[in-house]
This record gives sequence, structure tokens and C-alpha cells, in this order.
Amino acid sequence: MALTTFGAIMGFAADMAAKTCEYYKELAGRATDAGLKGSIEELAREEAKIRARLEEMRRLNVTEMILEYVSGLHDEDYNINVDISDSPGDIRVLEAAVALEEREKRFFLDASDKIPLPEVARYFRKIVAKKEQNLSRFRAIPV
Amino acid sequence: MNRVKNYINGEWIGSDTKEYGDVWCPATGEKIAEVPFSTAADVDKAVQAANEAFEDWRCTPPLSRARYLFKLRDCFESAFEDIARTLVTEEGKTIDESRGEVRRMIENVEHATGITTLMTGYNLEDIATGIDCTAERQPMGAFGAIVPFNFPAMVPWWFLPYAVVAGNTYIVKPSEQVPLTQTRIFEVLEDCGFPEGVINMVHGAKETVNAMLHHPGIKGISFVGSSNTARYIYKACGETGKRVQALGGAKNFVLVMPDAELDRSIPSLITSFYGCAGERCLSGSVLVAVGDAYEPLKEKFLAAAKALKVGNGLDETVQMGPVATKAHMEKILGYIEKGVKEGAKLILDGRNIKVDGYEKGFFIGPTIFDDVRPDMTIATEEIFGPVVSLIRVKNLDEGIAIARKSRYGNAACLYTTNGKTAREFKYRVPASMIGVNLGIAAPMSFFPFGGARDSFFGDIKGHGREIVQFFTDTKVVIQRWT
Repeated sequence: MALTTFGAIMGFAADMAAKTCEYYKELAGRATDAGLKGSIEELAREEAKIRARLEEMRRLNVTEMILEYVSGLHDEDYNINVDISDSPGDIRVLEAAVALEEREKRFFLDASDKIPLPEVARYFRKIVAKKEQNLSRFRAIPV
Repeated sequence: MNRVKNYINGEWIGSDTKEYGDVWCPATGEKIAEVPFSTAADVDKAVQAANEAFEDWRCTPPLSRARYLFKLRDCFESAFEDIARTLVTEEGKTIDESRGEVRRMIENVEHATGITTLMTGYNLEDIATGIDCTAERQPMGAFGAIVPFNFPAMVPWWFLPYAVVAGNTYIVKPSEQVPLTQTRIFEVLEDCGFPEGVINMVHGAKETVNAMLHHPGIKGISFVGSSNTARYIYKACGETGKRVQALGGAKNFVLVMPDAELDRSIPSLITSFYGCAGERCLSGSVLVAVGDAYEPLKEKFLAAAKALKVGNGLDETVQMGPVATKAHMEKILGYIEKGVKEGAKLILDGRNIKVDGYEKGFFIGPTIFDDVRPDMTIATEEIFGPVVSLIRVKNLDEGIAIARKSRYGNAACLYTTNGKTAREFKYRVPASMIGVNLGIAAPMSFFPFGGARDSFFGDIKGHGREIVQFFTDTKVVIQRWT
């Protein structure tokens, strides 16, 4: 489905953050390594904050005068399968977290070019930077 | 069936009337509520309550009055999404457009909180030897708003917060076609603790309007709607000695120069003509291609219009919703028929559009007429729908000449990369709201909103700094103590 409006992009982003938050909570429950578990729980909290901020931004930044259509963003490009129920273990938990962080980094990077509102685009780029930090940290974990 | 009530003196009360109108969901075509056509007696109750409340309210310090608005603003933020969804349900615009409208409503509340600066007067010592003079602004009493169907949340709030924070009391009459949004807004307002009678709402139609126009207890009327009704309101207020600001209809010209950045301009042009299904008084209506702009503009605009997703505005991905009512849909269809009969070339036909799952909805797809002559009905009359009349002109002078012939003077927009052209355009086009490289020239709450010619009757426009003048009397005090 094409994300053709400001609301559609912000709605998709907030929904993605909400689902990712829930999934991180589940992953944290599967992790056995205490350090990994703590890191995943931190990600869940981060996603909850992102969701709240996105919903607030959608409300505060909607500008009726420049509600121009957006093209080139499709939600299916950001659908990934991270189901690890059939093969649990810390390595799979970590791989799932990396996949989710990469997905978000990619979406917010793509969307930051499409949003005509500087404050929102800046926040998207800030998320991208945060996700890059997370990915560097995860890739350095010796599991 | 939900039957909406009036809000008078801090209470929800039924009307004396036996007549009710139907409220429809334009996406589904289903009846969703009934609205009372309130009587003169209902209006009188509201006016009495407003005038009783006025005596104490005007003595409340402006900063204290502003504090009610601060609270109201927070309440509106909390109810933001709910108000926006109610609006989509009864008016049909998309959820993003509704959110944008609610945002603009709140911006007026925010602007009005600055009343301690906006309302100050001025003074001069020694206007004659030992004599000092001050000019002070005083509230006047009860004011009223009569508002249209296309922006049911925002338009009353172009006026209400300024009137009330200046110390007046208020009566809103929402459009009988879309009464639910303002009802929801008043439910939020009810929790903010305004003294009873300061803000009131009376639903209704023509009888209600006439009762407000002729009631001696109302000091002034703010109106937004069609030009014919605006003229009627203006005359009636003149006869009854009321202050009046009556905003009427529009026929907005959008000129595209050959030097415009077309790829960048198309999304903005599409928003101008098809945003809110063309039911904005700022919507583009006549697209004027200047010189060599014609061919590429036509090709790109047509492709973008064809690609628009039309549907129920509650779907986040929908880009254009239905028009507000069945009657209005039929009126727009009548204009399309007229365009065909007068010889314009229909290159995109929005009639008979099918929206899956919403077969009874009031939908008209994006429509474009080419080869339109400036004297055709579709190029001169307000259609207020998603219908574009494309006119080709040789140069800027010819384009401006067409705009200057219009009986309306609401908004006009120009797309160009040339500053001299832009200056020429804003200097010579008689519309009061000018957009350059944007298609919706919408003044925000801190600038005045209103047109010229048949688009506006009165002196002081909606919101902006000047609005405080409309809601206050300037009292001059000359004193000698020496």
C-alpha cells in the first residue's frame, strides 16, 4: 500500500514503533543473557518513546495549507519476518533485533526525504542516527 | 437516532422546534443524526443568557479570561483525534485534512490568549494644555457566528476566541448540514469551566439565522458562506445596526508561468484544486496556463489527478474524500453538465466514480475541463467541488485580465521562479489573499482572513490583529486634572 499522505506516513511509523515495542518485550523474555535482555528491554522503551513522539508530531505539525501528496513510499517495502518462535536462543534474538533496527533505520531514512516539514524530517534523521548506534552496539556483542 | 441539542447557559437543552433536519455521513450515504431547526424563542434564550453573563464576564481581567483559553487549548489537544474523526464522518474530508483543520482551530485559541497585548489602547498627554487623552478598547456584549459546512470545526473559532477573550459573550450557529463536530467541540468546552452563558450554541437553519440577525440583544455577526447569503446578512445587519463581517464565495485563479518549477509545483497544485474535494473558499478553480506552460502542465496535472486515491476520509491513505452532501454533489454534477454543453472539453470525468464499499457515498472524482473560455459558466461561477477549468493564455497580462474580470476576489495563486512576475501578480490581481508557489493561500490565525469584491462584505476580516477592533468599542477618555 502506498503511503501517500503525511498522516499515512506518520500513522505507519507510529504503528511500526508500537508493534516493534511489543515484539522487543517478547524478545526480551526469550533472551537468556542478562546483558542482551537489558539491551532489548531498552529498545522496547525507546520504541514506546518514538511512538508517543510520532503521534504528538502528527498532531502538532499537520499544516492544512501544505498537505501535499507524497509518492515513492510503500509499506510493503518495510515488512520483514522476524518470527523466531521455532528456533529460540540468544543468537536468534540478537539477529531479530538487528533486523528490526535495520528496518526502522531504512524506513526513517527513506521517509525523511519525503516529509516536507523540517522538524519532522529532523526527528526522523535523529531516529536513523540512534538506530545506527544501536546496530553498532549489537554487532559488537559477542554472543 | 442521535438528535443534537443546543448549548445555552451552560446546559444542553432541546429546541422548541418541531422541525428537524437530517445529518448524513457523506462517505456511506447513511443518515447519522438529526438537527433541530431552532426557533426565535431558542435564539432569544441564548441571547438572554449571553447578555446576563456579559456583565460579570466583562469585569473579569483579560489575563484571567485568557486562562480559560489556555485550559481549553489543552482540552482540545486531548480530544484532537476524536474531533478530527467526527469531522470526517459528517463532512467527508480526509483525516489529514481534518487534523489540519482542528490544528487551525487551536491556533486561533492560541493567538487569542495574547489578548493582553492585542487589546491595548493608546494615549497622549497634553492634547491641549493640561489635558490628557486615552483610547481604550471595551467589550460590547453578545456576538454571534453563522458558519458554513466546509470547515465545521475551524470557522467559528476564527471569531469566538477573540470575542470571548476580549470580554464579550458568544452564540454559535453551526451549519445544519454538519452540526456534530461543533457539538463535540462544545462537549470539550463544557469541561473547561467557562461561566454559564459566556459561550452558547444554537443549531438551526434560516429561521434561526433570521432570529439572530434581527435580535436587538446581539451586537454583531460574523458570517462565512455563499456570496448571496453574505450580501443578505450584510444588509440585514446594516438595517438592525449590528457590526458585521460577512465572508462570501470565491472563484480562485491559479496561474502557472512557463518558468515555474513544474515537478515541484504539481503536488501543491493538486492540493489546491482537489484538497477537501474542492470545498474550500481558497481552492483553486481555474487553472491558467501561461504560454509554453500549457502542454507540460496539462500532461503532468492530468496524470497526477488521475492517480489520486478517492475514498472514505477515515482511511489514512485516501487523498480525496466525498463532497459534503448529496444536494451539493448534484449541484456540482450540474456544473459539469453545463461545462460539457457550453463546449468545454472534458479530459477527466469524475462523474460515476465507483468507490468500493461506499456505493451510496457522495463521491465525485477529480474532473478537468480543457479548452475553457473565460466567459463560460464553469470559469465564472463558484462550483465548490473537484472540478478544474483549464484556460490557456498567451502571457501574464492576459491571465491577470481574466482574474480581474471575476466578480469574486478571494484568493489567487501564481507559480513562477521570477520575482518581478510575482510582484506584478500580487500588485495587480484584486484578490485579497495571494499565494506565490503555493496553492492554498490561507492566512494563519495571526493574519487576517477574507477577500474582496463579492467575496467579502464588511470592513474587518476574520482573525488577525484587527479582529479585536471588531469585537471592541474604542472609548476615548479626555481628562483635565490640572
